[in-house]
Amino acid sequence: MSEDNETRADGSGTGIVPPDDETPTWRDRKERTQGLSRLTYEYFERARREDQDLRQESDYVERDVLGFPAWPHETIRNLAITSFFIGIMIFLSATMPPHFGDPADPSTTPAVILPDWYLYWSFGLLQTDPLNPELAILGGERLMQSDTFGVLVHAPIIGLIFLVPFLNKGSARRPVEEPFWAALGMTGVMFAFTWSLLAIDNIIAERVPMMTATLLFDLVHIVPVVAGVVTYSVLKAMQEGYMYNLNRRYYRLRPPR
Amino acid sequence: MSLQKKDDFDHGEWLDKKELSLIEKTYLFTLMWLDKRLRIVDYLELLEDQYYKMNMQMPKSHTEQYNLDNKFWYWYPLYSLGSLSIIAYVVLAITGALLGFYYAPATAGEEASVAYNQMLFIMAELNFGFMLRSIHRWAAQFMIAAVFLHMLRVYFTGAYKEPREVNWIIGVVLILLLLLFGFSGYLLPWNQLSLWAGQIGVEMAMSVPLVGEWAALLIFGGFEMGQPTLMRMYIMHVFILPFVVTALIALHVGIVWMQGIAEPH
Repeated sequence: MSEDNETRADGSGTGIVPPDDETPTWRDRKERTQGLSRLTYEYFERARREDQDLRQESDYVERDVLGFPAWPHETIRNLAITSFFIGIMIFLSATMPPHFGDPADPSTTPAVILPDWYLYWSFGLLQTDPLNPELAILGGERLMQSDTFGVLVHAPIIGLIFLVPFLNKGSARRPVEEPFWAALGMTGVMFAFTWSLLAIDNIIAERVPMMTATLLFDLVHIVPVVAGVVTYSVLKAMQEGYMYNLNRRYYRLRPPR
Repeated sequence: MSLQKKDDFDHGEWLDKKELSLIEKTYLFTLMWLDKRLRIVDYLELLEDQYYKMNMQMPKSHTEQYNLDNKFWYWYPLYSLGSLSIIAYVVLAITGALLGFYYAPATAGEEASVAYNQMLFIMAELNFGFMLRSIHRWAAQFMIAAVFLHMLRVYFTGAYKEPREVNWIIGVVLILLLLLFGFSGYLLPWNQLSLWAGQIGVEMAMSVPLVGEWAALLIFGGFEMGQPTLMRMYIMHVFILPFVVTALIALHVGIVWMQGIAEPH
């Protein structure tokens, strides 16, 4: 501290002042804040109180011992699963080593151009240009070029996957409870599969002469929808079955007069 | 009264009095030595305290409260898909690091590029090289398959619902990044398949209106396949994506840890 006992802001002293009775506590400081930090403080206080109330009136049974012992049960199970999984990987890589093709040559185009299997759906989507909407207003010309359509059609599909939790709300968990969403999921899975088939259409045409390009294209877009409808009806029927069982139990308890 | 300083906590004497096996003695001695310098015991106590506090306050989970263990364990294989993909990721990291010692991302060369020749070297001459590459590739297939199935499990059991929306979004981002991971890795051997798959990628990027050419330049380093493309794919595969994906996986798992597993009803 300097001799005249004043706080100095020129960086010469420590700048630390001992607290006195006027010094606000941290709580005071938080209460005195304004704007966003004040809002944050208020929300945290509310949330803490709410949490406490919920905990007091809840019927949760708290654990007095830990549920499932980490050693040896959990550890041994995890070790078993892990080593089994890695074992399968090593076994497959020993029995089915990867193919290694010719060196890259920009002057010769190979007959088959394909990525790994997990991108087939994307390559298949590039060939969906017959779905590209034709607009009569534009003199029968297509809205987009066909390759542009194939690329841009990725966006709504991936966007839909992103939006799933915001479109389907509620506490239902089992597929039986929400036949529509289960059917939508099944349609999506089937589309991923059939679009993959579209990516390897020239291989299919070679192996299965019966499958013409139009037939394949139609099947690719019809089969998933049919699968979705079937899923929906099966789950609806299961729902009816559950309701029947519930009703039967109910009427057995209270027979109709 | 001697001037010798007396230690109240003479652990050495205490250690001498006890009849311990060699392992026990070594362990205790090391622990004491470290504790004298680093105060390990204090920190262990803090940790232990936190651990018990956390677990004492944890409510019983849904399966515990309603005795649904039988149903839960019946579906257990589906609930292990997330950790299986992490195991595959670890295998990929190890084999990938080893492969990285021998791979060189260069397209120079007369008939075959340096990258291709290095791959040939790894597969034909390097001890265990073929095995490394084989495991790396199969682990990649396994990881992507496990991640796809994991997403299906989450979808069909409704595990993405409130409060887990954020984790669903992180998961979808992770899948997309993983596809990019796979694609960039597919291009590294610089064989015919890599070249032409990459060419399709360039054309896909180019056909996007407005930002297409910019995207092609950013990701592929040009409008046709060449050294810049290979270099970008390499840096993406061994530098950018590993950091980003590892961080996102940590976040993903951390959120699962905080929120608990969405158990079946």
